[in-house]
Amino acid sequence: MELISNLGLGFATAFSFWNLAYCLIGVFLGTAIGVLPGLGPVATIAMLLPVTFGLSPETAMIMLAGIFYGAQYGGSTTAILVNLPGESSSVVTALDGYQMARQGHAGKALATAAIGSFIAGTIATVVIAFIAPALSNIALAFGPREYFSLMVLGLVASVVLASGSLLHAIGMIVLGLLLGLIGTDVNSGTLRYTFGRFELADGISFVVVAMGMFGIGEILVNLENETTRTMLSRKVEGLMPTRADLRRIMAPVARGTTIGSVLGILPGGGAMLASFAAYALEKKVSRQPERFGHGAIEGVAGPESANNAAAQTSFIPMLTLGIPSNPTMALMIGALIMQGIQPGPSVISEQPALFWGLIVSMWIGNVMLLVLNLPLIGLWVRMIGIPYHFLYPCIVFFCVIGVFSINNATFDIWLMALFGVAGYVLRKLDCEPAPLLLGFVLGPMLEEHLRRAMLISKGDPTGFFTSPISAGLLFVAAALLISILLPAIRNKREEAFQEEE
Amino acid sequence: MNRIISVAAGLALACGALAGPLAAQDYPSKPVTLIVPFPPGGASDTIGRVTSQTMQPGFGESIVVENKPGANGALGAASVARSAPDGYTLIAASIGTFGINPALRSDLEYDPRKDLEMLTIAVRTPNALVTRPGLGAKTVEELVAKLKAEPDTLTFASSGTGSSDHLTAELFWQVSETTGIHVPYKGGGPAQTDIMGGHADVSFQNLGNIANYVREGKMELLAITADERSPDFPDIPTMKELGYDGLEVYSWQAFAAPKGLPPEVKAKLSEGLTSALKTPAVTEQFAKMGFTVVANDPAAADAFVADEIGRWSKVIKDGNIQPEQ
Amino acid sequence: MTSNFQSKDFWAGSVYVAIGLAALVIAQDYKMGTAARMGAGYFPTVLSGILILIGLASILRSFTSKGEAVGRIQLRPLILVVGSTLIFAASVRFLGTLIAVPLMCLLAASASRLFRISLPALGALALLTAFCVLVFQMGLGVPLPILGSLFGA
Repeated sequence: MELISNLGLGFATAFSFWNLAYCLIGVFLGTAIGVLPGLGPVATIAMLLPVTFGLSPETAMIMLAGIFYGAQYGGSTTAILVNLPGESSSVVTALDGYQMARQGHAGKALATAAIGSFIAGTIATVVIAFIAPALSNIALAFGPREYFSLMVLGLVASVVLASGSLLHAIGMIVLGLLLGLIGTDVNSGTLRYTFGRFELADGISFVVVAMGMFGIGEILVNLENETTRTMLSRKVEGLMPTRADLRRIMAPVARGTTIGSVLGILPGGGAMLASFAAYALEKKVSRQPERFGHGAIEGVAGPESANNAAAQTSFIPMLTLGIPSNPTMALMIGALIMQGIQPGPSVISEQPALFWGLIVSMWIGNVMLLVLNLPLIGLWVRMIGIPYHFLYPCIVFFCVIGVFSINNATFDIWLMALFGVAGYVLRKLDCEPAPLLLGFVLGPMLEEHLRRAMLISKGDPTGFFTSPISAGLLFVAAALLISILLPAIRNKREEAFQEEE
Repeated sequence: MNRIISVAAGLALACGALAGPLAAQDYPSKPVTLIVPFPPGGASDTIGRVTSQTMQPGFGESIVVENKPGANGALGAASVARSAPDGYTLIAASIGTFGINPALRSDLEYDPRKDLEMLTIAVRTPNALVTRPGLGAKTVEELVAKLKAEPDTLTFASSGTGSSDHLTAELFWQVSETTGIHVPYKGGGPAQTDIMGGHADVSFQNLGNIANYVREGKMELLAITADERSPDFPDIPTMKELGYDGLEVYSWQAFAAPKGLPPEVKAKLSEGLTSALKTPAVTEQFAKMGFTVVANDPAAADAFVADEIGRWSKVIKDGNIQPEQ
Repeated sequence: MTSNFQSKDFWAGSVYVAIGLAALVIAQDYKMGTAARMGAGYFPTVLSGILILIGLASILRSFTSKGEAVGRIQLRPLILVVGSTLIFAASVRFLGTLIAVPLMCLLAASASRLFRISLPALGALALLTAFCVLVFQMGLGVPLPILGSLFGA
């Protein structure tokens, strides 16, 4: 019954007028920032940090958290409407969401994302409320070995993302892994593939690659077929999902929420894997996997739920251990410290109003996002009704400004242009950019964890199989790999036999 | 045509000659840019923002923080080194940018001693020697004995190759005549997580960052690298007390400007920064982050930075940790 | 057999092999290390090796099975759209956003076959530039000059 009194305290805190007001400001700002490609919550929160000193710790955290999950929300809007993923999780949303938009189902895709996120957010909030303290130690059980195996599983799963040739999917992943190596080697401090440019010392930003490959590359492909004039269908069919659609997304939302809630707890990149682990799962369990990549509603519902659930549960390691899962969380920890609160296991007992107030506010924030976003869908959909030759110069503008604002450097615009050309050429060769982006994101972590694990074990690789978590993850990866490769090999054989006949 | 140009040039020169001394007297007459060569939210960013915001009202012009991250601060520092020394471009950065980079890398595009002048060392925090729970070494003596008994077995987590905590570990090995395996991480957070999870054995971390983990029993604190004991942990000895000389190591943050500032401008900036840093509210806020305010004068800051570069150059040379270029 | 040299598989494979070889050559400057203490060159060498193998497999496939031919690369949009971003990057500090943004957008827009200078188009351009100045520069503090060094600022 302690839980009920705790939740009561949480509701009392979150429902105070100022906390509600700042929650609304947070989710609104977050959505706006998220919709603008390239701009992330980190810069916004850093700018607002001095403002938060004047607020109570609860209010400050409620607002900052609102910006964080609001931005996640806004990011999927841009991914669906104009195929511009601002972060790795929305790459997956863009795959089927943008296809739905092209077929005139933008409203449905946006509503699916909103509803899926809301359900996932609600369930994840309950998960945090019930088992956060018990879950905190899972984060510590993951060392370099376990993370390496998790990354291996992630890489295998990213093969599933491609809808075309298996060989090129693997090729693009490896290409992405190589691109991810650019920059300073974490272990030795060596600058790799930087060609003497210090601008490359910290590696290439994800946003640069995504804006170039997806944003500019897509525009170039679209301009080729311009005569057909069917860039995006102006005829908008049904803003809201039908009852049949809702029935179809229920299971994907449930699966996505589960995957997201679990992976979100792992601070070393778990949340990042959530959305495409969910996509891979949906494609694997679907009876018509060929629909994926061509506007499958499940391909939006699953990953979006996973993404949002993971965003919520990534607060668990932060609040219970003081471990940030991402740069945004690190900023929030900074804000807490400057309020005189050291995040850690004692936060729950010493600052119950903060802990439970924040949890309840996350749920309220999710309600606000739903209320805020559902009416906006009509507006968004009208926006993509703008003739394409008016729309795409704006997209170019947003890509350029967004990319510039990451490091305040024009060098990044040059790089983005390069990736734009690469994206166009690779598309002409039927090589899809999504697996490349995931290789790019996972590569550095894969190498880092592998080398660290080998350093710690003094070169003994058996540790990967003796740790039960690591062994389990590798087993799942192997099983998944076989399930991908077997049908492909069988098809090849059939093709070969047919040709001989 | 030529005459017009020469007249215009003469006029411009005259204006310039007039404007020169006037500019220094009028300083500041337009917004000042404070370059932070790290992403938003880090220690340099926070200290830069809080200090400049406190300084602003008395200063008369706004101070705009601009993040120019890259290569452990080298990118932003190089751009400041190339800027005009007029007091309108400043930099707030860390021991890594000012003290270690110049010792570590031969291909830097700036030298803090030649291209920059320090305005003040803003804050500092000592490093703390921590181990994973259950390592079985409760004191530095026991740890050194363990390291000598099993050479090259214990893992030392650091926040990156060439970071302040990596070099502290290197210095510790040199002073205590022991060895260990250096395991670099991407920043202090993941390194601390792996100490708590028991995946790595030992680490030197900023005291402010790990104080709470120690109180919660998630890490064991053996010693600190300060001149004197910390009021937060009065029972924990300093390295100096234990007889390890030369192991007083601090992580610090400083403000600097391009070399060749007009003296009036320099005086105004150093006065503004140090008095902002000494404001009780600011001092208290930094104390919560584990930092002690230093706020020394430019001459002392310059001397300190030169000392630090010399010291770390030696550690890097003795430990043979020059990264391949 | 000539058609095989035009297939997507052949060209994609060639791209993989070319990038893989370049990466492999550069990686030789980095220390390999051992399995226990992998050097900076370990991962790049392994990855570029794999990429070369995949590239060879793709080239091989282009000869064993009939593939689609590569579509024509259209240079006009490529040059105009990509060029517009490059011109922006090169000129924004000099011209300022007030000129560089419309310049970039006009140049990018001219890649379209439907490009016409019309009143609504110019209005949209003015709106976008205003949005840039108000939201990005004033609201979010993106450090770009509104009027560049050309105007003495």
